[in-house]
Amino acid sequence: MKKTIQIPLGSQHISLLEPIRFKFECENEKIIGVDADVGFVHRGVELACTRSFEFKQVGYVVARVCGLCAITHSLSYTLAVEKLLGYVANDRIKYLRMLMVELDRIHSHMLCLAHTAENAGFEALFMQIMGDRELVMEVQEAISGNRVQFDYISIGGVNRDLTSELVDLVRKNLTTLSEKMEILTGLFDNNWSLSLKYKGVGVLTLEDAYTYNALGPLARASGLATDVRAETSDFPYEALGYTMMLESTGDIHARNFVRLREIVNSIAICRNIVDNLPMGEIQEKVKGKPKGEEIVRIEAPRGELFYLVRGNGTNTLERVRIKTPTFSGIPAMMEVFKGSQYADAPAILASFDPCMSCTAK
Amino acid sequence: MFKSMVEAFKNLFKPVRTINYPAQEIILPSGYRGLIEYDKEACIFCDKCEKVCPPGAILFYQHEEGEKEYRYNPWLCIYCGECVRACPKPQEAIWQSETKQQSAVKEDGANEGWFVWEEACKKSREAYAAAKKERKPKMKSEEPLCVS
Ligand code: SF4
Ligand code: SF4
Repeated sequence: MKKTIQIPLGSQHISLLEPIRFKFECENEKIIGVDADVGFVHRGVELACTRSFEFKQVGYVVARVCGLCAITHSLSYTLAVEKLLGYVANDRIKYLRMLMVELDRIHSHMLCLAHTAENAGFEALFMQIMGDRELVMEVQEAISGNRVQFDYISIGGVNRDLTSELVDLVRKNLTTLSEKMEILTGLFDNNWSLSLKYKGVGVLTLEDAYTYNALGPLARASGLATDVRAETSDFPYEALGYTMMLESTGDIHARNFVRLREIVNSIAICRNIVDNLPMGEIQEKVKGKPKGEEIVRIEAPRGELFYLVRGNGTNTLERVRIKTPTFSGIPAMMEVFKGSQYADAPAILASFDPCMSCTAK
Repeated sequence: MFKSMVEAFKNLFKPVRTINYPAQEIILPSGYRGLIEYDKEACIFCDKCEKVCPPGAILFYQHEEGEKEYRYNPWLCIYCGECVRACPKPQEAIWQSETKQQSAVKEDGANEGWFVWEEACKKSREAYAAAKKERKPKMKSEEPLCVS
């Protein structure tokens, strides 16, 4: 029998942003087995949604599940309840909701890219990307009135309208950002530490991606064509210039490039939205109480976000189930670790862009 | 190598991108979601704002004479604006300002003080409801007396 050693990573580790624990079974430097534990920041959000809050308030509660994709959570929940109530939003509401979700995707992807840069020992680029990310945060703050907790979506519409000054701000900042993105893409492609170091590291093959049900940018980097935006028809993504970004190598480099290209695509979608914003009410009255069961899938920055909402015709819901992208992606992530070097583990983990607060909720 | 050194030297003279807070003020965008403000004169005491508030940051204290008193916890509030949207007289009775809330210190009693208030408000309601109930049957029993 060969001798192996166990090395833990986390739950507190200098390269980890959020508490997660991996137990690596190592043979010399090589990882041969992984065990993951994610429940360090459990807050009982699901139970709170069905005990302490009424269904109209839950949208604000689930937004607190995650700081990065707050808008996706509130959108998924709102959409589920609206379906239960038999309400379909008008085009203006749909467009405004999409705009916020895409802006959110841009800044979330930028955060992940910044962390991968940091994990390659490129601290200056981390600062630079985080600085450029402010362009998007600024727009989101101006639209919704707050930097992180947007509280923008409510049942029956959105809470604020897009004025012409805001449209100008969106256009201006996105133009600046797309120039910066070009420089950034060049850097990620040509820079030694970012490109050579990350090519061939942390590979997830297409077959494994399929078997272990990878999702989001992780799957698309391996060439698995899965994206909720293309699979559902809740929002007119196709009409607004959405294209699926696929890479084939499945390594960290490919994941970075999926994210970079998705940012560029999201910028284009946002521009199309503000250029073609239809007229209409931004808030409509929705009557009734949710009865029955409904599921909703939305593409969050990290992959598919799943919501199940069950109501019994009263003000309090019976069940809210949240399945977050990181949670669904864990089997695929564990597979990637197997066979790679222990020293690469933090960089590989950062390239998954895991969100533990989401996962443990 | 030479290029990057020139670049690094140039960067020394570029303006900084961070804000030197608190020496320099952070400029909030217009439409910032700030504190909730209230006007007693315009309020019709329908309690709608209290009912919709997700964290329960608005409470009405019930005085025995039937008057209601508005109480608001600026630290519990999530500044969502639901109360303003629910109010039948938005912008008059209740509205959202652009003032940013400062952090609480211990003396503010953001938690303990509020728990006391919450309890007091609940009790005041119950007491008022009980008093009302007591008054009603009395009035009924008085009625036949009047007739006879
Ligand atoms: S803004 Fe939201 S949290 Fe604050 S008092 Fe109004 S309803 Fe409550
Ligand atoms: S909703 Fe408006 S009118 Fe009603 S109690 Fe609140 S502030 Fe007063």
